[in-house]
Amino acid sequence: MKSYLSYKIVFITIYFIFLSLEIFANTTLEEKVKKLTLELRCMTCQNQSIYDSEAEFSNDIKKIVRSKFKEGKSEKEIKQFLVERYGEYILFKPLLNYKNWFLWAFPFILLVFSLFFISYKIRKN
Amino acid sequence: MNRLIIFLPLLILLMICFFVLMYLLSNKDPNKPPSALINKNVPIFISKSLYDSDYVIKSEDLKNKKVLINFFASWCIPCKVEHPLLFEISKSYPDVYLLGLNHKDKSNDAKNYLSQDGNPYDFVGVDSDGMIALEFGVFGLPETFLINENGKIVYKFMGPLTKEIIKNEIIPLL
Repeated sequence: MKSYLSYKIVFITIYFIFLSLEIFANTTLEEKVKKLTLELRCMTCQNQSIYDSEAEFSNDIKKIVRSKFKEGKSEKEIKQFLVERYGEYILFKPLLNYKNWFLWAFPFILLVFSLFFISYKIRKN
Repeated sequence: MNRLIIFLPLLILLMICFFVLMYLLSNKDPNKPPSALINKNVPIFISKSLYDSDYVIKSEDLKNKKVLINFFASWCIPCKVEHPLLFEISKSYPDVYLLGLNHKDKSNDAKNYLSQDGNPYDFVGVDSDGMIALEFGVFGLPETFLINENGKIVYKFMGPLTKEIIKNEIIPLL
């Protein structure tokens, strides 16, 4: 009986994975545009995303993003296209690359040092 | 070892201060991010002449000469401010090819603007849909790019040019 239950769990899990993939595949163009443009900085506004802004620059970028998605380009490819032209500044979240490694690693370095420091203090006390 | 542990927070603080200081000394203006295209080849483009659509200029035509590309429009007020300075560059440096790219403008408005204020450009290309500006990473007018003889972008300036900018930043590169 138990083994049947495990089969059921596996089956249901796989079913939900496929269902979620299906939902993901059916994400509409506008949803994809919204998701990406929320991650892009409006370079002519104050702390606004491209999605939230109605500036001419933002509307142009929205148009480009929409046309690139229609061409079948992926989110990563579109980001790369924009970064090549406008620099990483256009992204709210910096890219994970060798130039930014310190930025990404610093909190972890700090965490390791802090844990080291705390464990030392605890042992001493 | 004990001392190292004790002074660790201080060391981390010093490191943070060092990076903040480096940033402050670099004179970076967060409103004017550096161009991603500096030291890269001029983007591929083709633009029709404002005055005769049979004439076009291509990115390949810019090779073996120094080119100053200026994105402008008749509706752009800061463009009017820098306009007289472009004549000065044109007069003082005749070997520099001055390419004006008329951005998202009406043809007649652009022609009227250049007939009233004068035309300092060697060629005026049209960028009616803003696609050339997109390739150059332009996000506001005016913007000026300096291209060297090898077809590489060596300088970019966002906003209206000033005498100081031309003297201190552009002329040393000519």
